[in-house]
Amino acid sequence: MSTDTPSADPASVGPASGTAAMVALPLSPAGLFYVVFFGIPMLSLLVVSFWRAQGFDLIPDISLANYQKIMGSALYRGILLRTVGIGLVTAAIIVPVAFALAYLMRFVFERRGQFILQLILVSLFSGYLVRIYAWRTILGKQGLLNSALQWLGLIDAPLPFLIYSNIAVVVTLTGLLLPLAVLPLYSAMLNVPRDHLEAARDLGAGRLHLLRTVLLPMVMPGVRTAFAFAFLLAAGDYVTPSLVGGAQSLMIGNIIADQFRGTGANWPLGAALAFVVVAVTLILYLAVMRLIGWVTRW
Amino acid sequence: MDDRLRTLLDAKLHADLSRRRFLQGAAGLTTISVLGLSGGEALAADGKLGGPLNFFGYDGEQASNVAAPFLKKNDIQLNASFASAADETLTRFKTGGRGSMDIMTMNKDFQRSVIDAGIELFQPLDLARVPNAAGLFVGFKDANWLVRDGKMYGVPMIWGDEPCIWNPEKWSGVPDRYTDFADPKYKGELVLLDDPFGNIWLFAKSTGAKDPSRLTQAELDKALAALITIKPNVVTLGASLGDMADVMIRGDASMGLGGWAYQTVIAAQKGVKLVVGSPKIDDRFFWSDAYTIAVDAPNLDNAYAFIDFVTSPEANAALATELGSGCTVEKAYDLLTPEIRALYDYDIVRKPGAGILGSQTVVPPQKPDGDILGAQSWVEAWQTFKAA
Repeated sequence: MSTDTPSADPASVGPASGTAAMVALPLSPAGLFYVVFFGIPMLSLLVVSFWRAQGFDLIPDISLANYQKIMGSALYRGILLRTVGIGLVTAAIIVPVAFALAYLMRFVFERRGQFILQLILVSLFSGYLVRIYAWRTILGKQGLLNSALQWLGLIDAPLPFLIYSNIAVVVTLTGLLLPLAVLPLYSAMLNVPRDHLEAARDLGAGRLHLLRTVLLPMVMPGVRTAFAFAFLLAAGDYVTPSLVGGAQSLMIGNIIADQFRGTGANWPLGAALAFVVVAVTLILYLAVMRLIGWVTRW
Repeated sequence: MDDRLRTLLDAKLHADLSRRRFLQGAAGLTTISVLGLSGGEALAADGKLGGPLNFFGYDGEQASNVAAPFLKKNDIQLNASFASAADETLTRFKTGGRGSMDIMTMNKDFQRSVIDAGIELFQPLDLARVPNAAGLFVGFKDANWLVRDGKMYGVPMIWGDEPCIWNPEKWSGVPDRYTDFADPKYKGELVLLDDPFGNIWLFAKSTGAKDPSRLTQAELDKALAALITIKPNVVTLGASLGDMADVMIRGDASMGLGGWAYQTVIAAQKGVKLVVGSPKIDDRFFWSDAYTIAVDAPNLDNAYAFIDFVTSPEANAALATELGSGCTVEKAYDLLTPEIRALYDYDIVRKPGAGILGSQTVVPPQKPDGDILGAQSWVEAWQTFKAA
């Protein structure tokens, strides 16, 4: 046995392999969980996306027909575009609002930051459906908002666009996802020393300059996570458009769900749609991150 | 979570099931106490019951409230899992479920198509082990979706229809045809159920399709075009029949198409008056669900005893009340409250062959059949309507 192989030198590899083991061991439960409950199901879904449905049966096949159908269908392209639009608009509202809130909690009301955080977390205690239902109560024709506006004499009749519209979907998604976006941003801002901001100001940085070249780059991981939560969850939602979106606010999640349930379901097409959505949202996410990165370097 | 929220959750997970689910829980328990249900006298062929009973079907139809005394008395563990549509049962059966499934629930159209196609899914029933089936309305005893070659393949537990429901403060009635709902006077007033088959069937009938359940491409296009003309008037698509009721109770819409007579009762309980009726010419469609026993069911004794118990007049009345549906047992009719009894026209099920229930088919063929389109084309057309 050669004595110069790495494995023969316990002094050189021992700590490294020990470190690897120390890292791998705590990661293994999460890794195993992801492999079993995410990796394998996703792989299965990917395989099914190349199959075809015929009556009650799934026919194992290797065909790009489902992907070709999606690309060639004005119906699917249109809904995908609408979905991405709603996701981007929602994220474009949520991220700045969450950023401002996190900034206030960290730098303006620093001593009450944790308390405000607890208040935000309380809103997550109620279930997802409970909150959508609450928004329906607020936005309905005879809901709180319309009733209040009528009581104040600001409107004569209920504003129809407040419920069962794209606006209702964006408002509801914003309400649902805002707390999730505040958490990573606040966490990222806790790592920003106040001194850095003060030093930048002392050196003559204006507010916008300070935000763009000092604060944003330092909290970019938080911005990325907040955007990911807001955009991906909004674009992937299908319960909100069902309950407050009305007849005009179909999103791709609803189309995918239709393909997996009931008579006439087409699992392979649904699986292919799901992967197209994953690809499109991933590309958009990376593009937006690059754009933000470019703005902060500029 | 209150019942309304539970219903919404259910609606998203089991889109076409909420009629069956709507009144589960406390209401069901109340019904049991009102009717004084006991555990029944059912016994297995060898005199022994107990152990597991595996149910796969529509949520609510496992009758876990109604059958609770029976299950407890006989030490039976009901393991229920749910399908969002009848054909999921076949998928489950063919993908490892065979040999582990006992009781399955079927809608009449799907059951008929399985029997017609000779697909192996459920077994002929030994009616000697379901003595309460003798009490079914006469219409169910020879119904073409339940009986073939003298053998009975299912015991129906509920039935009903899907009419129009509206607010009488806004409307005095409904037009003669569904296509008339394109009138701009209905703008912002309509709510439909998010159900491809029911809606396309109604509009195919309204646009003159020869057989609304078997459409050619031209007929489907015509029905879709008619549906799209009413789209500007549609406020929203109810995620379930319960959600649809909620939309009308809140005043967000005043006219429901393809609704549920029980929505009027739900609304009355919340102080809102809704009434029920159907377009004179186009009318409405009907449905019925039945218990079946899977081929190779491992717990046959429990399955027969369960079906016999829930087919007793008291249990059937309790289940029909719990699910806001029509009862299937003649003597159960007498046990219903006048309010529940008045929801449906029982003359239909008192006729041999169950009248329109037997002659009407709503669900399209699963696969294309020559020029006749399959269910996937209907789903795609419905998505086109939703996206329009």
